[in-house]
Amino acid sequence: MNRQIEAALNTLKSGNPEEIERAIETLQGVVYGFGMKFCGSREDAEDTAQETLIRLARQLRDFPSARGLAVWLYKVAKTQCLMSRRKSKFAPAQMLSLDELMPKDSVLSAEGVKSWQFTPEQVVLNNELRSLLESAVLSLPKPYRMVLILRDMEQLDTREVANVMGISEETVKMRLHRARVYVRNALGGDFTKTWKGRRQPGGAKRRSLAAAEGEARHA
Amino acid sequence: MPDRRCKRIFAMLSEYVDGDLPVKNCRELELHLKGCAPCIAYLESLKNTVEACRRYQVPKVRRPSKKVREALRSALR
Repeated sequence: MNRQIEAALNTLKSGNPEEIERAIETLQGVVYGFGMKFCGSREDAEDTAQETLIRLARQLRDFPSARGLAVWLYKVAKTQCLMSRRKSKFAPAQMLSLDELMPKDSVLSAEGVKSWQFTPEQVVLNNELRSLLESAVLSLPKPYRMVLILRDMEQLDTREVANVMGISEETVKMRLHRARVYVRNALGGDFTKTWKGRRQPGGAKRRSLAAAEGEARHA
Repeated sequence: MPDRRCKRIFAMLSEYVDGDLPVKNCRELELHLKGCAPCIAYLESLKNTVEACRRYQVPKVRRPSKKVREALRSALR
């Protein structure tokens, strides 16, 4: 988990008046960022941040550890996002099948992959990749999107994601893999020109959650 | 990814990237990768996808509202 969050929560709990303002801004940034990634709307992200931080104020003294409080913070932010007024433009309601996400008849050249490798100096994504990534993430079905954002963007560990989502660690891993493959295929559509016969993620066949997760257990 | 082995490997890739794959499966995967260029390429692109997610940041946020600041300050008193 992002150490900034724990540090900010520790500052609030310790009540050091000189650092409180900065800690509040840090937490606002974290929850707003999470809301933007999940909802894709500034208004929803602002509502999420405001509601979550006001609830945090009521809970601040009830948690012995900042880490426990941080997980609770994501739980509340998650619920706020799921209740958001503005629905994502592309979000499908159904679930993803790993079979359908797997590339078929593909020829993936090393050159195609190299074109979007990162160097250590490249801290910020370029605009094209950033825009493709946002569209891909927002087009993920919500249960997969939430896991991907918590695990790969917010960098919670598997146990913490399971705790926030109220699901098992195995289910977190299964959803995470599908979400990553979905996003990778969406990016690959533009970045790996030589990959033939691929299917766009939005066109992939979707199955019920139970069928998709049953399939993972037998994989 | 033409054959059944590739399909089995494909299901393990994220756990491999995260270092969560059991040793036995890890050996199987690494043995397969030695002879399968498409799986190697896919694995690399999956790692890049995870890296892109880690580097993704949303634009700077506005300052917390007065309501939020007051609620937190009041909770700290």
